Amino acid sequence: MFDAIRRPFGYEPVLTKEDLKKSPDKKNERAKNWKSTLLRIWKLVDEQRTLLIIVLALVFISSAMALLGPFLIGYIIDTYIVPGAFEGMGLIIGWLIVVYVLHSVSLYLQNYWMVGIAQQVIYQMRAGLFGHLQRLPVSFFDKRQHGELMSRVTNDIENVSSTLNTSFIQVFSSILTLVGTAVVMVMLSPMLTILTFIIIPLMYVSVRWITKRTGRLYKEQQKAVGDLNGMIEETISGQKIVKAFSQEDRVMDDFLEKSERLRRTGFWAWTYAGFIPKVMNFLNNGSFALVAGVGGLLALNGSVTIGVIVIFTEYSRQFTRPLNDLANQFNTVLSAIAGAERVFAIMDEAEEADDTKRNADKRLDGKVEFDKVSFKYEGAEEEWTIRDLSFTVETGQTAAFVGATGAGKTTVMQLLARFYDVNEGEIRIDGTPIGAMPRETLRKQIAFVLQDPFLFEATVSDNIRYGKLDASDEEVVEAAKQANAHEFISKLPEGYDTVLSGDGSMISQGQKQLLSIARALIADPVILLLDEATSSIDTVTELKIQEALERLMEGRTSFVIAHRLNTVRKADSVYVMELGKLVEAGSQDELLNKGGLYATMLTDAKL
Amino acid sequence: MKTVFSYTKPYSLLIGIALFLMLLEVVLELLQPLVIASIIDDGIVAGDQDTIIRLGLVLMGLSLVAFVSGVANSYFASHVSHSFSFDVRQEVYKRVQGFSLAMFNKFPASGLITRLTSDVQLIQQVLYMSLRIMLRAPLLVIGSMIMAFVVNAQLAIYLIIVFPILLAFLYVMVRKGVVYFSFVQQRLDKVNRLVQENLQAVRLIKAYLRGKYEANRFSEVAGALKTDTVKAFRIMEIILPILLFGMNVSLLAVIWFGAFDIRSGDAQIGELVAIVNYAMRMTGAFSMFSFIIMAFARAKASSDRIEEILLANDGDEVVQGKTVPIEEGTVSFDKVSFTYPGTSRPVLQNISFKLAPREKLAIMGATGSGKTSLLQLIPRFYEATEGSVSVHGRDIKEWDLQELRKTIGLVPQQSMLFTGSISDNLSWGNEQAELPELQGAAEKAQIDETVQRFPKGYETRVGQKGVNLSGGQKQRLSIARALVRKPSILILDDSTSALDVKTESSLWAELDKEQATTLLVTQKVRTAMRADRILLLEDGVASAYGTHEELLKSSSLYREIALSQQAEEVGEYV
Repeated sequence: MFDAIRRPFGYEPVLTKEDLKKSPDKKNERAKNWKSTLLRIWKLVDEQRTLLIIVLALVFISSAMALLGPFLIGYIIDTYIVPGAFEGMGLIIGWLIVVYVLHSVSLYLQNYWMVGIAQQVIYQMRAGLFGHLQRLPVSFFDKRQHGELMSRVTNDIENVSSTLNTSFIQVFSSILTLVGTAVVMVMLSPMLTILTFIIIPLMYVSVRWITKRTGRLYKEQQKAVGDLNGMIEETISGQKIVKAFSQEDRVMDDFLEKSERLRRTGFWAWTYAGFIPKVMNFLNNGSFALVAGVGGLLALNGSVTIGVIVIFTEYSRQFTRPLNDLANQFNTVLSAIAGAERVFAIMDEAEEADDTKRNADKRLDGKVEFDKVSFKYEGAEEEWTIRDLSFTVETGQTAAFVGATGAGKTTVMQLLARFYDVNEGEIRIDGTPIGAMPRETLRKQIAFVLQDPFLFEATVSDNIRYGKLDASDEEVVEAAKQANAHEFISKLPEGYDTVLSGDGSMISQGQKQLLSIARALIADPVILLLDEATSSIDTVTELKIQEALERLMEGRTSFVIAHRLNTVRKADSVYVMELGKLVEAGSQDELLNKGGLYATMLTDAKL
Repeated sequence: MKTVFSYTKPYSLLIGIALFLMLLEVVLELLQPLVIASIIDDGIVAGDQDTIIRLGLVLMGLSLVAFVSGVANSYFASHVSHSFSFDVRQEVYKRVQGFSLAMFNKFPASGLITRLTSDVQLIQQVLYMSLRIMLRAPLLVIGSMIMAFVVNAQLAIYLIIVFPILLAFLYVMVRKGVVYFSFVQQRLDKVNRLVQENLQAVRLIKAYLRGKYEANRFSEVAGALKTDTVKAFRIMEIILPILLFGMNVSLLAVIWFGAFDIRSGDAQIGELVAIVNYAMRMTGAFSMFSFIIMAFARAKASSDRIEEILLANDGDEVVQGKTVPIEEGTVSFDKVSFTYPGTSRPVLQNISFKLAPREKLAIMGATGSGKTSLLQLIPRFYEATEGSVSVHGRDIKEWDLQELRKTIGLVPQQSMLFTGSISDNLSWGNEQAELPELQGAAEKAQIDETVQRFPKGYETRVGQKGVNLSGGQKQRLSIARALVRKPSILILDDSTSALDVKTESSLWAELDKEQATTLLVTQKVRTAMRADRILLLEDGVASAYGTHEELLKSSSLYREIALSQQAEEVGEYV
């Protein structure tokens, strides 16, 4: 039994004494962070100022009514009940009913509107964060786990949501009640007022002691949550591999370790935070005892009445109650602030460099030049992925890229679409550097068929239409036909209206490819980027697709990475890459005659 | 809710202690108005100073004891709720690990993830609150009522009149709340799914300039979430004002009738004050109710969703069975047909073949012809609907699932790596493998050289799904991972598609040396020719089976494929 009770003490301490000592500089930083976080939330809340003012007015009314109730009861006791004269008591009771009605109505309405305000703020945070994610550069996503980002968009914002719903009104009404009770109390008995308010500094000191610990613990907890979620996301979406390799135990161990860390940090965070309402309650009860005892003594010499004691005991509860509620939710509030901080941290990430809107609709011709382009991925230390790359692809030509995997072929495409910015040199389309071109203009000219075809959890036709949102049904079918997808789509249970499940498990990998090709076809681009798009399509289908692609490539500049020599053969020019550098370029025949790397590659392949 | 909360059982003692402490705290608090009544009646009205001081100190003492039990309660509540959620999370995760792949089609990944994260968190929070404040509210209400009766039953009657009405009202609202909050939860699911999709398809969305479109789509679902949340909360917000009003009115009744009782001598002022005090405490406790209801409604929705997993059946993958092979390395399909669970169209029909140890089978066929489905039957990801699949001379249903899979090296079509170092990822194949072994496998997979070039070599971290590697690098790592376990059966599902010709042929040369029965899906006749036999699939039916030469003669489709690829290659070499 004692083991069970003592168990948490066996947890490795999350905060050491050194941690707490370290606090001064960090504390300031945190306070500053909190201040700016709260300020940003406030800015969002403030956007609905009219409603907010109404809510605040209602809070004012309900707080006033909450004060008036006990006051009138005290008055009834002193004026009517103690002397035993009941004339006029009915009228006061009638007024009390009015007070109670007003109290309830204003309470309801303030919450009614506050929920609206709070949810609007949450909506804006959500949509803002999501919109911002859309504008972040691809490199941002390379660095982060999906699960961890997910937890920000979902958990963190949820925390803010539940806090805003309730805490905002509570803070405001506690302040009002505090001030109101203070005024009435001073008027009734300054001596008892001092006794009641003695607890406030005590509250402050003890809450400070606690929050100093919880603040950091909550951050730890949130981090543990993020880590765990990331791990869960990854292993669940990669479940097939976990199973294939019978790694359930290993994954489970990893899971338990992360889960245990969350339990440990969470336990201490919640335990400390749990002290707050208890402390408040204790101080509250203490002052209650003081008021009753000292008030009783004062009543003996007649300086206070019984009614006043009744009012005081009720008031002392009333102004601490909201504070108490707040303290009860203290953990939510803390994690909400931590959550908001993490959300804002993403919103502060630099967006893809600013795009001017000019020329957004201009259709380019599609002449592509790489001029001494060098590039390395962020974080890659000395390794250049692309080194000093120069070439020109004329309008309407097809350029095939060959080379060992990792030679940088995919990167060339990603640079052309400006997923990443080059470190040195310049990429030009029709003579204009793409860096000086709005991304919108640039990407409008480009259609991509990516290595891993991704489909959305939507209907087949919506997935195709992704390439051109305003495409008619006929256009969708036409594109599907061209991509050779029409046949299998027609066999699906609901044809073009079949909803594909999230992971697209209903259709085969090759069929996904076909759909992604249809999606590219409908986009009608100037520049076509095909990244190993034909690799998992069978030969028979591929022949038909080749046909369609050839039709599509007509008049368009095309960059193709394909391992089918057939594709390479039809290209106007072939670029052989090795370790990020261009080693050979020219037409198929030229390269063969030259007898360089390309020729060797072919001979090797001959078996 | 029952199943989920049955996980609190191991902690019943601790829960008992926590509840007892809370009860103690509440009782002590409830004694306060009684003491106050004494102060007024025996102290002030009787003019006895000593009694006032003595009772004042008693009040102080009571609060101190209440404080200590409160703090202890907080410790236990936190301990229990975190341990509970730890257990539930573990159990759910274990269940999910045990799911067959068919279950994954039923429960999409995003739903499983929310269950394991926010749902568990929510019920943890509710348990914590129940151990601290939730029971406190009803206890305070009931306790105050009892105390009021003890003080003066005649006056307390007026408090109890409104009670049944308020309770009935509460009941109705709780039921409503549960419904509304489950709507909200569904909306939240949708939002989460959209976010996940977007994170996965970043490049695609950017390439098609659909950032704004996605943002609009998101605004729509987030807007629906907002509307429903607001609706749910607005309904819940009715509770508190009505409860308060009911209590306040009965309080007035107490005062009105109390006044007459005092005049007639049936009651004393102190008693009236005490009852008023109790009534106000009840009102205060009621203000917690709507909060509690909301929490419970949400917990109900969450625990229902968790229970879906805990109670899900079929899923059980953990199958005990035979662990020793009869004839290591054989694979045979005997009249196997297969239909995906929940669908009606068979994807494989009447497939039969037999592979001796170290034989190689190439599977060819159009997309959607059932190649991947066939391979998935071997590690028993799915069960054949008809016929039988035997591995190592045993029907796979007799096999211990883990042992069976340990003998298989699978390289899926889409290579997926996990967050961690490259060596972590490779050791998935065999946890005991030392670095030289990992390196050996990497060498065979033609990736060692590339890894060595990374500044941190085998300790290089690969990110989410291995984003900072190219497709071909991922494929080769995933082949190396399979080779590390020295499998007696190797399954390659078109896993060399992102490799260039040169790398691919060195890779095949290495694979030829492996002591494994190999099943490979390929599009290339050149690759298929390396196999001992070729199985050609057409719409789930084996349209041809035999050696390259045999197929050239017997299958017109195969001939067509071979010719088209030959033409292609001949064209190159001229």
